[in-house]
Amino acid sequence: MKLLTFEGITIIGCILIAGCGNEPKRLPYLGNMEVKGSDTLYHTIPDITLTDQDSQTYRISNLDNKIILADFFFTSCPSICPKVTKQMLRLYDRYKDDDRVVIISHTIDQRHDSVAVLNRYAHNLGVDTGKWKFVTGEKDSIFYLADQYFVSVIEDPLAPAGFDHSGRIILVDKARRVRGFCEGTDPESVTAFFDSVDKLLKDEYQ
Amino acid sequence: MVLSRIFPLLPFILLFFIGGCQPEPYSQGEVLYKYHCENCHMEDGSGLGKLIPHLDSAKLTLSDPVKLVCLIRNGLPVNKLTGQKMPANLKMNEVEMTNLVNFLGSKYASNPQTVIVPEVKKMLAGCQTD
Repeated sequence: MKLLTFEGITIIGCILIAGCGNEPKRLPYLGNMEVKGSDTLYHTIPDITLTDQDSQTYRISNLDNKIILADFFFTSCPSICPKVTKQMLRLYDRYKDDDRVVIISHTIDQRHDSVAVLNRYAHNLGVDTGKWKFVTGEKDSIFYLADQYFVSVIEDPLAPAGFDHSGRIILVDKARRVRGFCEGTDPESVTAFFDSVDKLLKDEYQ
Repeated sequence: MVLSRIFPLLPFILLFFIGGCQPEPYSQGEVLYKYHCENCHMEDGSGLGKLIPHLDSAKLTLSDPVKLVCLIRNGLPVNKLTGQKMPANLKMNEVEMTNLVNFLGSKYASNPQTVIVPEVKKMLAGCQTD
C-alpha cells in the first residue's frame, strides 16, 4: 500500500526505465529481407570482384572477417567528396590500429580514376592502403554495388564534374549485412556514427 | 570636470563599442567562402592531406591581392604530383570577389591587404587568360 504513494511510483518508474536503458541494443539490419525456401535472409552486399590501388583484385568475402566502412567518391570531385574524405580520415584515425576494421572507397569515375590515379591519391592523402583501400571495377558493377550499399550515384552531365552522388558512409558487418550509415558531409553525424561502429565491433567480436 | 575631460575622447569610445559589436568584419566574404571554397578547403582552411594544402601554407599568395584574384578566377591546372586541380570560378562578380579576397586576407595572409571594388575590377580585367 505504501509503495503506491507518489514517491513510491516515481522510484519504481525510475528503476524500470533504468533497467530498460541498460539492455544492450543491437544495431538494426538495413534493407529488405528475402525469404528463400524456409530461410529468411537479410540484405547482403554482393561479393563483386574489385581492383585496388595496387592492381590487386579481391572480393570483400576475402577480407578475413573484417567489418567494412565504405563510401563512393571520385578523385576529381569538386563538390562534396573532399568533405566526406575528411570525415573518412577521422574514422581512419580512430580505427587505424584496429585490425577488425577495413575502409573501402569506391571510385564512381572509372574512366579517369585508373589504378595509378587511385594509388597517387591514396599516397597524397597519406594513408596506409592496407587499411584503407581505394578500389575500382566495371562501371556497371560499381553502380550496382552503390545501389546495394544504399548510396545514390547518378551520372549527370549537368552535375559538377558529371556525377551526382550522396556522401553516405556505410557500415557493413562480417557477414556483409548493412548495419548503419552516416552522412559524410555532416561531422556531427559522423561523431554519432563512431558509437555505431563501436557497438558493432563489440557485438561481432564478443 | 571629469565629463569635460572625457568629452574629446567620446567619438573614439563610441567607435570602440561599435567595433566590438561586429562579430566578423568580413561576414559577406565568409558566406562566399562557405559557398565557393569550403567544400575543398574546409571550414578551417585545413584542406585534405597533400591533395589540398592548408591555406596557411599560401600566406604569400594570400597577401598579394593581384595574385589571389587571378588564382580564384582561373584556378590551377592539374598538379602533376597530386593529380588535383583547382577549378576556375567564372561566376563571381567584382563585388563578391572583393569581399572574398578581403575575408581570406584577414584570415590567412601574413600581410593582409584590403582591396576595394574598382581595384578588383582592374585586377580581374588583367588576369583573363583567353
